[in-house]
Amino acid sequence: MDRLRTRWIIFSGLAIVVIVSYLITIKFKTAPSPATLKAYKYLDTLPEKSVVIFSFDHEASSLPEIQPIALAMLRHAFKNDLKIVGLSLFAEGTAIGYDLLSKTAREYDRQYGSDYIFLGFKPQYISAILGMGESIKRVFPEDYLGNMTDTMPIMLGIDSYDNIEMVVSIADGDRTVQWVEYAGARYNQKVMAGLTAAMITSYDPYLSSEQLYAVVGGLRGAAEYENLLDKRGGGSRGMLAQSAAHLYILALVIVGNIIYFRNRRRGGGG
Amino acid sequence: MRTKIPLVVCLAFGVIMFAQYFSNHTIARAVYNNILEWWQIIFAFTLFVGVAAFIKNNLKSISRGKKDTPYKIVSLIGLALMPLLAIIGGTRIGSPFLWSFENMLAPMQATVFSLLAFFVASASFRGFRARTVSATILLLTALIVLIGRIPLAEMISESLPKTTFWIQSYPSMAARRAILIGIGLGSMTTALRVILGIERTYLRGE
Repeated sequence: MDRLRTRWIIFSGLAIVVIVSYLITIKFKTAPSPATLKAYKYLDTLPEKSVVIFSFDHEASSLPEIQPIALAMLRHAFKNDLKIVGLSLFAEGTAIGYDLLSKTAREYDRQYGSDYIFLGFKPQYISAILGMGESIKRVFPEDYLGNMTDTMPIMLGIDSYDNIEMVVSIADGDRTVQWVEYAGARYNQKVMAGLTAAMITSYDPYLSSEQLYAVVGGLRGAAEYENLLDKRGGGSRGMLAQSAAHLYILALVIVGNIIYFRNRRRGGGG
Repeated sequence: MRTKIPLVVCLAFGVIMFAQYFSNHTIARAVYNNILEWWQIIFAFTLFVGVAAFIKNNLKSISRGKKDTPYKIVSLIGLALMPLLAIIGGTRIGSPFLWSFENMLAPMQATVFSLLAFFVASASFRGFRARTVSATILLLTALIVLIGRIPLAEMISESLPKTTFWIQSYPSMAARRAILIGIGLGSMTTALRVILGIERTYLRGE
């Protein structure tokens, strides 16, 4: 019963901390990390009409964290009049990617088929990534809406990675690794990523060796990108809640250790 | 014969996929493109197998009248409903399919995933103890990274984010690299063993 009560207090405490933090508006000045700055500068300096692939390689569960990153990068791309080819190597990413791409395109009055396209989902991501190096239209003969890709204006002149400036993989797992290992290593395709915070360290070796061009990581990465873009979004709004939750966990660790040492001194163990 | 044919197929495709990497010949490219297409088609069929297995297992549980029967029924309804909505109403913006995805599936999955934060909070209180020297080092490192990743860290001290960056860039990355190199070597060895027919566990260990 005591154990249950402790858990109930801890859970309620976290819920209160996060909810209250979301109700308060404090603007944090987050200095951009080198990786976020590199991603921003790359998209910012691309010539108009350059083609960028946005691959939504994530599940719906990570949406609250990953969507602000995708949204900030898509807004930047549409703002700079880049052409976007959307796709997904995760079945669940399909609806998410199409929805997000369409809604963001509307903000900037971009037209489906000429300014952006969503190719949908392909099973077996390795063969899809490798296949696109040979012919994107062969891997995706139809787009998400059932149109023949070779009849879409945006796809005229696009057939393989040779015509793609950058692949942006929005991922909550290791799908970006496959983009690096297959599109990057075999076809010299530049790849950058928008990742959940938990995945950042897994990608550090690729980032350091420049196999991965840049990373926008976690809610903080989204907030940094939004600051650079000067458009507040989910990342900036979530910063206070995330900071508060981190401090709450820090406090729990400290209190837990105080109790542990007090009990040990009394001879009761942990 | 039952084992020899799969072994020969495996060897042939392993060798072809290895050799084509080094060739830009038209035939090599055509073979490569065809194999990539076959690969996708075969994988698409595995999705059908997955769905069939899911339906079979759930129906079996329902017929046995176990305690979790209502959940199994909801699962099967969900499985049937989403494709039906997509077929009837399409998948465009404003379609019932996309509405269900956005307002039912996504929030439910995000809710389950967010429970992780509560368990992390509980575990940090119960399990994260400075019992030994190595546990203390791990604990302190985790605390530094925990604070260093929030914007507040820059207000507390400029060296906090720098220390976090150093931990991620050196000790953490060194360990990651070692793991990745190990995985790479292991993958190569396993691939070679499978191609040469030494590793046969995919044939039920025969």
